[in-house]
Amino acid sequence: MFFERRSKFYQFSSGGNHYIMGYIKRSFSKENMEEKQVKRKFLKRAAAVALACALAAVSMTACGSDKGGNGSKEEAASGELTMAWWGNQVRNERTQQVLDKYKEEEGTTVKGQFFQWDDYWSKMATSAAGKKMPDIIQMDMSYLQQYVDKSQLLDLTPYIEDGTLDTSNLSEDAINMGKVGDKIYGVASGTSSSCMFYNKTLLDELGITVKDNMTLDEFIEIAKQVYEKSGYRANLIHYGMYMEVYARANDIQVVDKLGGKSAEDYVDYFKISENGVKEGWHISPSQAADTASVEEDPMVYGSNPDNMTWCTINGSAMLTAYQTAAPEGTDIAITTIPSTDPKKSNYVKPSMYYCVSADTKNPEEAVKVLNYFTNSSEAYKILLAERGIPVSSKIAEEIMPLLSQEDQENAAFITDVITPNSSALPPLAPEGTSEAQDLLRKLEEKVKYGEYTSEKAAEEYFNSANEIYAEHQ
Amino acid sequence: MKPTSKRLYKFLNKEKTAGVVFCLPFIIGFLVFLIIPMGISFYYSLCDYDILSPPEFVGLKNYIDMFTNDEVFWHSIKATLYFALVSVPLRLIFALLVAMILVKPTKATGFYRAAYYLPSIIGGSVAVAILWKRMFAPDGVVNSILGIFGIDTNFAWLSDTRTAIWTLILLAVWQFGSSMLIFLSALKQIPKSLYEAADVDGAGKVTKFFRVTLPLLTPTIFFNLVMQMINGFLAFTQSLIITQGKPMDTTLFYAVYMYQQSFSFSKSGYASAMAWVMLGIIAVITFVLFKTKKYWVYEQG
Repeated sequence: MFFERRSKFYQFSSGGNHYIMGYIKRSFSKENMEEKQVKRKFLKRAAAVALACALAAVSMTACGSDKGGNGSKEEAASGELTMAWWGNQVRNERTQQVLDKYKEEEGTTVKGQFFQWDDYWSKMATSAAGKKMPDIIQMDMSYLQQYVDKSQLLDLTPYIEDGTLDTSNLSEDAINMGKVGDKIYGVASGTSSSCMFYNKTLLDELGITVKDNMTLDEFIEIAKQVYEKSGYRANLIHYGMYMEVYARANDIQVVDKLGGKSAEDYVDYFKISENGVKEGWHISPSQAADTASVEEDPMVYGSNPDNMTWCTINGSAMLTAYQTAAPEGTDIAITTIPSTDPKKSNYVKPSMYYCVSADTKNPEEAVKVLNYFTNSSEAYKILLAERGIPVSSKIAEEIMPLLSQEDQENAAFITDVITPNSSALPPLAPEGTSEAQDLLRKLEEKVKYGEYTSEKAAEEYFNSANEIYAEHQ
Repeated sequence: MKPTSKRLYKFLNKEKTAGVVFCLPFIIGFLVFLIIPMGISFYYSLCDYDILSPPEFVGLKNYIDMFTNDEVFWHSIKATLYFALVSVPLRLIFALLVAMILVKPTKATGFYRAAYYLPSIIGGSVAVAILWKRMFAPDGVVNSILGIFGIDTNFAWLSDTRTAIWTLILLAVWQFGSSMLIFLSALKQIPKSLYEAADVDGAGKVTKFFRVTLPLLTPTIFFNLVMQMINGFLAFTQSLIITQGKPMDTTLFYAVYMYQQSFSFSKSGYASAMAWVMLGIIAVITFVLFKTKKYWVYEQG
């Protein structure tokens, strides 16, 4: 049986070969096997082989170019630029409109590429490795340091000096937001601040008023009252977002490692949610999922008070998003995040940056686009305050009347509430921050589930987070 | 005739050469898209590599860290094992059950086969994952249906450490279509004569299933088991979209943790090392399955 199979295979293979070779042989059958003919025949066969190889090569490169995607090299050669950002549908549409407008005015085509937050950073990392970063990139505070350290961003200082990037309407603070070391690598797209959102309709019904710059104790008192009267819980310690507020108030900010001398300094942080869940006024993940998604936030989404909250914390620019996600008739209001020392905790932050890639073939043109996104009234008529309150004081004033009610509330909050009662920007996040944040989220979860005591969580956070930071140095 | 060209001519005229030339597209693809990336990934697994800066050789550090200093790694192994070992047998049982029902030809069989196969095609998609998330939300379809039966609840299925992974297992079991199709064709190949002989011996339906159908299906079950087990270990989308590993890492699948390490924490070297460990685990499990084959798989002939 084995033999049979094998001989069959042999027949098949030689038969197949004859068919191919026969085709070539037939065309030469009448000619003599003189040297000349042999040579020609050889050439023809060589050509056939070369063709096969070429076909293979073409099929490979075809696959390759599909994956490679953007062909940014050709674009750079033809003077075209690319710009990448993360965001939502509103931002995609508005930014694309501005790019179209820019083409109309300046004649330079800027191709937009947009992604979800997570995809954006994996895309940027891989394209940076291949030296193919988009010319203009949207940058976040938590990644700026890392990208500067790896020399991925263009130093904008010379362009500011020669006026290509006009910063005359920007305050010193606003310019310094993009400073790393003594060079400027990014322009803030706008300003925002962390804040607390709360269900004003509910609190009004209960006859409870919230004032700005509330202390932590005042907040806990209110949270207890709301829980007793209505069953709604508070959501303060969630998704690792409160740590910054806590650390600033206690002077234990992350510089290149966690601040503070020992785990002791972090026990109080975890105590807030441990006690809160025990006493009932703070939500636990078994009642509602802990999420960073606005639409699924238990403040605006849920079926009854038992799985809903009356407050949450996030960036102030999200007010519109929360108000949109909230059920009809529910008014969402904005206030400062409760803290043991609100003045220390509050700060005005760049909502994000525009940066230019160090790989760009056309830095001059790229910086011009940056300038357009910073100083053009035309651009901001479209963008409005979607990326924060514009840093240019002239533009901010111009667009104010065009803003929606929520955006105006947000702008007023930043200028009237946060700015007068705030302190300096924190140092940029060192590498390893995203991993340490993930650890913090997991520990918060364990404390809320009652798996860990605050002391144990603080111990693990202090040791493991410092290990993570050390590893990334 | 020059001797070199003659030798070349002879070389080109060989069957071997033609064979190699026609295999070339595959060989190049295999090298460029499989072997070389695997080699690179193996090298990275021995390096500190954050994608942005050049890799820095550190030897076995990543592997040692993984086994001695990473609690989450063990959580992810536990979650993945639990998921694969529970969902795969359940899925196969379910697939066999449905195949047994659909094997009898009726007018609507074709429609039912297609309908039951559908989840296999769409089940791995992000859209279905999001749908699943909504279904098990406190005010989702599942709780509404329970409400109809008088169980009024706002239970958060995805937030409870006991139930979260079961929602993912359920989703995996629901995608039984491809196994079902393979079972269907295997069921049809069982000779009628065996059933007739069993009838003559007075065997009932249950006996026939356990004495005839099941033994003859074991090669198919084996094939399905190996394939599904490998898929189970590589499960990614469900965990990433539906639970993100929550609560408390009980649904953090290995592949998701690997993805986080590489793209969220910029530790691609570590992630590469994890990939190689996963390869080892799958190899061991497949090896064990093949070793046990002779005890329970019926080989014809």
